[in-house]
Amino acid sequence: MIESLFVLSPTGKVIIEKHWHELIPRRVVDYFNDQVSKAMTAGEDITREDVLPIISSPKYQLINIYRDGLTYLSPVTKEVDPMMVFEFLHRIPDIMQEYFGQVSETVIKENFVTVYQLLEEMMDDGFPLTTEPNALKEIVPAPNILNKVITTMGASTSVSTRKMPNGMSNLPWRKAGVKYTSNEIFFDIVEEIDAIVDSTGKAVSCEAHGTILTNSRLSGMPDLTLSFVNPRLVDDCSFHSSVRFNKWESEKVLSFVPPDGHFRLMSYRVNLPSQQNLPIQVKPSINIGANGAKFDISVSLRNTEGKAVENVVLTLPLHKSTTTLTAHCNGGQYMFDPVAKVLRWDVGKIVPRERAPVLSGSFGFGTSSDAVANAGYNIGVEFVINSHSLSGLKVDVLKLFNESYKPYKGVRTMTKAGRYQVRA
Amino acid sequence: MYNVDAYLKSLTSNAVKLSKKVQDGIAENTRDFRFENQAHFLDTNDDKMREIRKNLDSRYEKEKLDGLKRLIAMISKGRDVSEFFPDVVKNVASNSLEVRKLVYIYILRYAEQEQDLALLSVNTFQKDLSDKNQLIRAMALRVMSGIRVPVISPIVMLGIKKCVTDLSPYVRKIAAHAIPKCYQLDPAQKDALLDIITTMLGDNSTFTIGSVLMAFNQVCPDRLDLIHPQYRKLCRMLVDMDEWGQITALDLLLRYSRTQFLNPIGKSTATTAARSKKEKSVAKSFYSDDDSDISHRSDESSDTSSDEDNNAVDLDLSFLLKCALPLLQSRNSQVVLSVAKLYMHLAPAEDSYKIGRPLVRLLRTHREIQYVVLNNIVAIASQRPYVFDQFYQHFFVRSTDPVFIRNLKLDILTLIATESNITFILRELQEYVKSSNKDLVTQAIQAIGRCASNIPEMAESCLGGLLNLSYSKSNSVVAESVVAIRRLLQQRPGDSVVMITQLTKALDEITEPLARANIFWLVGQYCSQLPTVAPDVLRKAAKSFCSESESSKLQVLTLGGKLVAQEGTLSRTINLLFQYVLNMARYDLDYNVRDRARFLRALVYGSQNGAAAATEQDVDDQESRPEEQRAVEGGLTEDVGGFEYSEKELNLSEHVKAILLSEKEAPVQENPSHGREQYKVGSMSLVLNRVVAGYEPLPDWPTTQPDPSVRRLAATMEAPGYMNDRTGFGSDSAYAQSRQGQGNSNMNSSGGMGSSRYDGQTGAYRGAETLDKFLESSEEESTDSDEDSSSESESESEESSAVEGSSDGDEEEEGSDEDEEEGDDDDEEEASSSEEEAILPTTVKRANGRK
Repeated sequence: MIESLFVLSPTGKVIIEKHWHELIPRRVVDYFNDQVSKAMTAGEDITREDVLPIISSPKYQLINIYRDGLTYLSPVTKEVDPMMVFEFLHRIPDIMQEYFGQVSETVIKENFVTVYQLLEEMMDDGFPLTTEPNALKEIVPAPNILNKVITTMGASTSVSTRKMPNGMSNLPWRKAGVKYTSNEIFFDIVEEIDAIVDSTGKAVSCEAHGTILTNSRLSGMPDLTLSFVNPRLVDDCSFHSSVRFNKWESEKVLSFVPPDGHFRLMSYRVNLPSQQNLPIQVKPSINIGANGAKFDISVSLRNTEGKAVENVVLTLPLHKSTTTLTAHCNGGQYMFDPVAKVLRWDVGKIVPRERAPVLSGSFGFGTSSDAVANAGYNIGVEFVINSHSLSGLKVDVLKLFNESYKPYKGVRTMTKAGRYQVRA
Repeated sequence: MYNVDAYLKSLTSNAVKLSKKVQDGIAENTRDFRFENQAHFLDTNDDKMREIRKNLDSRYEKEKLDGLKRLIAMISKGRDVSEFFPDVVKNVASNSLEVRKLVYIYILRYAEQEQDLALLSVNTFQKDLSDKNQLIRAMALRVMSGIRVPVISPIVMLGIKKCVTDLSPYVRKIAAHAIPKCYQLDPAQKDALLDIITTMLGDNSTFTIGSVLMAFNQVCPDRLDLIHPQYRKLCRMLVDMDEWGQITALDLLLRYSRTQFLNPIGKSTATTAARSKKEKSVAKSFYSDDDSDISHRSDESSDTSSDEDNNAVDLDLSFLLKCALPLLQSRNSQVVLSVAKLYMHLAPAEDSYKIGRPLVRLLRTHREIQYVVLNNIVAIASQRPYVFDQFYQHFFVRSTDPVFIRNLKLDILTLIATESNITFILRELQEYVKSSNKDLVTQAIQAIGRCASNIPEMAESCLGGLLNLSYSKSNSVVAESVVAIRRLLQQRPGDSVVMITQLTKALDEITEPLARANIFWLVGQYCSQLPTVAPDVLRKAAKSFCSESESSKLQVLTLGGKLVAQEGTLSRTINLLFQYVLNMARYDLDYNVRDRARFLRALVYGSQNGAAAATEQDVDDQESRPEEQRAVEGGLTEDVGGFEYSEKELNLSEHVKAILLSEKEAPVQENPSHGREQYKVGSMSLVLNRVVAGYEPLPDWPTTQPDPSVRRLAATMEAPGYMNDRTGFGSDSAYAQSRQGQGNSNMNSSGGMGSSRYDGQTGAYRGAETLDKFLESSEEESTDSDEDSSSESESESEESSAVEGSSDGDEEEEGSDEDEEEGDDDDEEEASSSEEEAILPTTVKRANGRK
């Protein structure tokens, strides 16, 4: 049972307080803040992210998530499946994102009445009630521009007469009575590569995961069937609740009635061949001396099917004792953050068959010790390749039943770096 | 084609620009109206506070809204605004929904404090329960049941009764949610609520059923007998329920199955496969893919044959497992974990590989969810490491992982290491040793040590790696690796000589006290195998004794004692060395060292009374390595215990070798996460590794097979028509369900919450009693009735299966059964009142018996 929720600002102040069951006094928040600051001073490398998601207090278990600088804290008194609490707590910012476009302290304060209404609907007496964005939007109207115009222009009349929508659809995830003049549906196939690459360029671990993000703008109650040219490439899928599991099991097609608007249709793991070439190669070499180190990092393309790689960003966290850094590069810009001790190299776009960008330079340590000299380095890599899918997954046909119109179908693919790190 | 595309693109981009412009313009305007931003309500001063009351009394909805928003802002800021309750409650009947929704939020917050005033609002809610709009009906019931004022519990009860038969599944869902709330208000209502739950369990709407099960878990979690007739239906509906309903249902079905089936864990499904071919074909049709009704014929035959072969997994159980399997693909991580829980606690062990990959998939989500998943993986892997051993790459630590994730991953890596993946894991662990994070380095070295002790085949290369690390420039690495080596060597005495010689060579360079202490101990312990090295180590140690740390000094003393015990008092050099050390220690600043020296002197060179040993033992050192301490102490107490204290002349020196050089028990290397596996998968107790209040362990498996026929009633179970309005074509099993729905639409008019239960039973029983009679008897319902039913039905399974055959027949048979019942009515009346509630087999059997 999830009894209460406190949304805390980055400074630990209560922004939203909601009790679904009995009241839990606010002092629990003070206790929580104390524990967090205690935990964060325990070691030098500890950040807010390292604070445990479940903190025990004498009376409560303080289940908390930390997202976008905000803490969502839910004290519970009794045994409860913590995963359910986390799952629910994460739904709250998800839904606020859907409603307000972004989530921050200011946004919540600007829309606090709507937030309270949402929280009221999402949970009933400690049990999740309505968490589908589509269903919620029927009960609590989103503050979109149209609603604002109505409330503003005709404030005196329409507030009192606005009727509650009567037709709740049978499908919890889809609104009834959706109408569009042009019926379109867009699929974005995004594949992310998670990899750990060692200093010789060999992948220690490499995995690719895809998601199909969908934006549905279809009228009525369309029943869709999406088939792939090569469904065998995907493995270990998880689906939006609208997808019929059995159909996928038996025929490898996605059969579903889509929610209205944006949603994540499916995520999957890509069956990579055993020796998959990574699209990008980062070659670091760091020679550490007594008082400093020389480094040399180059980025080159491999196996991108002739496509350019964009938004390439490399981040190299340096040792805490690093004081000075000099470098030069033949492409992009680099920046050294002397407080966080992070070197960030914004390479930008790399076009095939062009000179590989190189960043070289040196950095010095304020204090030298053996531990500093032996430390290893990890380079975080980000990049995006448009119109490229690592797996080669292709959408074949989209069939529509139950409605008479012919929808426009748009498909885009994209490959990007997920959790990609190179060891130096 | 391209041109058209480009044209379209430019067109859309233009349109976007235009609409953006319009939006901006309007946004600009709205700002003037102060409607853009609700934040200004948050800055409240006393003037504004006074205004609130005025606003609430206003004739204009807009002003009321303003007042209410300001109130909610005050709640948000933590101020007590209960003084406004009378002003707010007046607005509960407002025409504006906006206003009313805010009023509800306020009322729910303060109703408990202002009970009398809260009663004023109840009337409006009651009226709203008959509103045309389903959302308003639902909202009224929600708020009414949410105001925790015990006096109104009968009214809430009425409201629930009314809404239970509502045509809208949403309203019924809300009604189900209201049941536990009503129970909390007034536990005396339990019996009536139980009736409602029983009725609602027959609901065929996937929208509603999850909430009904939630109510069941809250109000009467022990009445698992009510689940019997619904079991198969619940399994079938599982895939179509909403995600939170699935969680509740899986939880309930797990508890149910643990009490109703025999333990299949450890049994293989191969046994099932080995069953007769005839049976297999039957099973196949039984669980055919189309989710249609379960056919009786196959059911019976499967039951009879399962009597013959008790070893196989119960078909009902494997049906549940099969139905739950697709949920592993849910996007809700708790659903995935719930299925994993089901498989861990119910399925044959060899099926558990199915949960491996889905759980690993969850590692790609938020770190809090990773935290829970990893904790559960630790628990699962410590019992069944083979579930995860192929996914070792996923547990490699990333530089961005938070501390708690990192430590869990290292634990898992050591648990799942096998001969095939150990090389990769070891290489990875050695990579972590390079990290600049000290904590990670320590953990990684310990992990290498654990890997080596888990897989003896790999111990040699692990030891090699650790030895390399002991030459490291970092002190903490040296200390940890020497400790790890010492532990390993204790487990593998065979390798000791070479390794220890290697270590002693490094002794000159190693400065870390912990490492030195460990080396001294090792040399002392294995001094019999190191006849040349050991005395030299003692010599060196004697030389540097003053500059050693406390723990090293203690170990040097022990080393000397052991050497003397080994060589006897004959070797002069050793004796001199030891006495030199003892003398040094005698004047040491630390009392532990002084004590130890006295103790050893007395022990080795004989003393006046042996009692010294006993007293000294209490003041034993405070060594940092607990297992070592245990080993030393263990050796002592054992041997001392062997002496007879009655003897005045106790010569300890005769036994000194046995005391000092006794075989030390090798330390058991426990995983830091050890102990988690005793808790339910997914529970908070598992994550925290201790019992949290309210934790209920799973029920034990029954030792004898409970009657499997109780679930067979499900075949004819039908719900009143209003409950059959399934989710439309969006669901997985829509087609089968719509077929099922057709047959019983005629029943929905019979209304009344009571009758539906009877409608739900087999045709044989329907019409046997009049509705009035039923309602009467339901008043006298007693809980013990289900006991006799289960015990009776166990022995009578044959008979009831005979009834089964007749009851599912056509109209004619039904009619004849009805006659039977009516004829028996008179003599039954008295007895029946208490047994009325007993589930069907008993009653029908009785009727049948008279036939």
